[in-house]
Amino acid sequence: MLRVQNASVFFPGRDGGVIHALDRASLDIDANSVVVALGASGCGKSTLLNAIAGFLPLSDGRITLDGQPVERPGADRGVVFQKDTLLPWKSVLDNVALGLDFAGLPLRERRDRAAELLRLVGLEGFAKSAPHELSGGMRQRVGIARALATDPKILLMDEPFGALDSLTREQMQELLIDVWARTGKRIFFITHSIEEALFLGTTVVVMSPRPGRIVARFDLDFVRRFAAERDVRAILSDPAFGDLHNRIRDLVHRPHHATVHRGETLQ
Amino acid sequence: MTDAARTTTAPLAEPTARPRTVALRPFGLDGARTGPISAVTGFLLIAVWFLVSHYRLVTPLFLPAPGEVAAQFIAILEDGYAGATLGEHVSASLLRILAAALIAASLGIPLGLAMGLNRWAKGVLDTPIEFYWPLPPLAYLPLMIIWLGIGEVSKIALLTLAMFAPICLSAQAGLRSLPIERVNAALSLGATRWQLFRAIVLPSALPEILTGLRIAIGVGWSTLVAAELIAATRGIGFMIMSASHFLATDVVFVGIGIIAAWAFAFSYGMRLLESWLVPWKGKT
Repeated sequence: MLRVQNASVFFPGRDGGVIHALDRASLDIDANSVVVALGASGCGKSTLLNAIAGFLPLSDGRITLDGQPVERPGADRGVVFQKDTLLPWKSVLDNVALGLDFAGLPLRERRDRAAELLRLVGLEGFAKSAPHELSGGMRQRVGIARALATDPKILLMDEPFGALDSLTREQMQELLIDVWARTGKRIFFITHSIEEALFLGTTVVVMSPRPGRIVARFDLDFVRRFAAERDVRAILSDPAFGDLHNRIRDLVHRPHHATVHRGETLQ
Repeated sequence: MTDAARTTTAPLAEPTARPRTVALRPFGLDGARTGPISAVTGFLLIAVWFLVSHYRLVTPLFLPAPGEVAAQFIAILEDGYAGATLGEHVSASLLRILAAALIAASLGIPLGLAMGLNRWAKGVLDTPIEFYWPLPPLAYLPLMIIWLGIGEVSKIALLTLAMFAPICLSAQAGLRSLPIERVNAALSLGATRWQLFRAIVLPSALPEILTGLRIAIGVGWSTLVAAELIAATRGIGFMIMSASHFLATDVVFVGIGIIAAWAFAFSYGMRLLESWLVPWKGKT
């Protein structure tokens, strides 16, 4: 289990002040769950992800993965970034195999494993392509395959579909659900799209800015339903989906008041 | 049928050969071909040179005729100049430039990378480099000679100093251009420090390093004459300086032509090296 306990982050601000980026966030990510952090920009969701990834030390609190404290980046936590970070001098296949290269696997083995992952994300025909020959959506698929290659315990995704057009985005969401259903990876996913959060998350935590804080938590089953039935329309037209959409919209837009007034599932 | 339906089936243009293709209006050159223009310009310059010397508009002492320069080139090719063959002059200069480039690169690349990575390396090396590199090589040439003598060492040292700075600075710039996300991505894939350096840092900095190397080679050629100014008996730079003492303008022209040709060949070679080593440059 990945456990975040009372994580706080302060950044140095102007004039010797401090910015309270993350305020006592607590979060558990169990096996086989997709936890989505949702919020407007500046709400600390990327800060939380960077801390879990080990890119950012905490000012206070602790993060543990299966009991081990998280202190630095490591191959047990795969990261998919918003901006693609593929290496332009390596082929798609070798980009996917990068983590296996670091782990010291022999060439044959890592290429076989990478080819398998490219099949998983639907890019089997592009192994020899250069990253710049792929579209934005395809590059993010490569990014997902690369993050999965080292078989991490958790996948951390920092607005991975934020820069994609909305049609590609829908395809990528379905692809991610497929990957999740097949690999059973736990996922921590960041977005500012309410619909994306509702569609992907087994748990959605809503965050509010200044200071970055988790203000509400919803446990959902839309993603499991989609994985089983594969019927987008049934989910989107479900009244419960629309109702939650509206409630979360209120939370995101008026977070401080909403925290006070709404009784359910608040932290 | 409604009007709207009719407009969609408006008569198509005649199926002529090929429709007129269009593109967004460019700003600046936008990759427009300049080769033919440059070729014609070169041709015109030579034509003007012919005319000027043919009609004796300038005295031959200042501007020898193209024919004289060509004849002088063949004469030097056959008989050599100042006790050495043309091949010996050229190879003496090439050897100095290549030796200096090799030393400058093998010092400049690691030191530049170290300066981009380490506070102490940057702090210590910044002072001497920022101090010396804007100086014209001719200014510290006398020191090179006083300290290192009049042999090959002082010449190669002068060229090395001139070439070191652009390489070192470009290696630093290469490190600065490395996006932190790329580093973080590699670390979260389990890269050790050395793997990070070899697989991410070095290739990321390589395009900038090669640009620096190209600039350094250019600086090397432009410093060559200075390096061969004193106590040289071989070299294209020496040939030019020696000829100038005898007002042998045609030999000076031959020397300039040879340097230009080699510098062009080097620059072209560097471009080939770039397209081979960093084919991804500008495609991210």
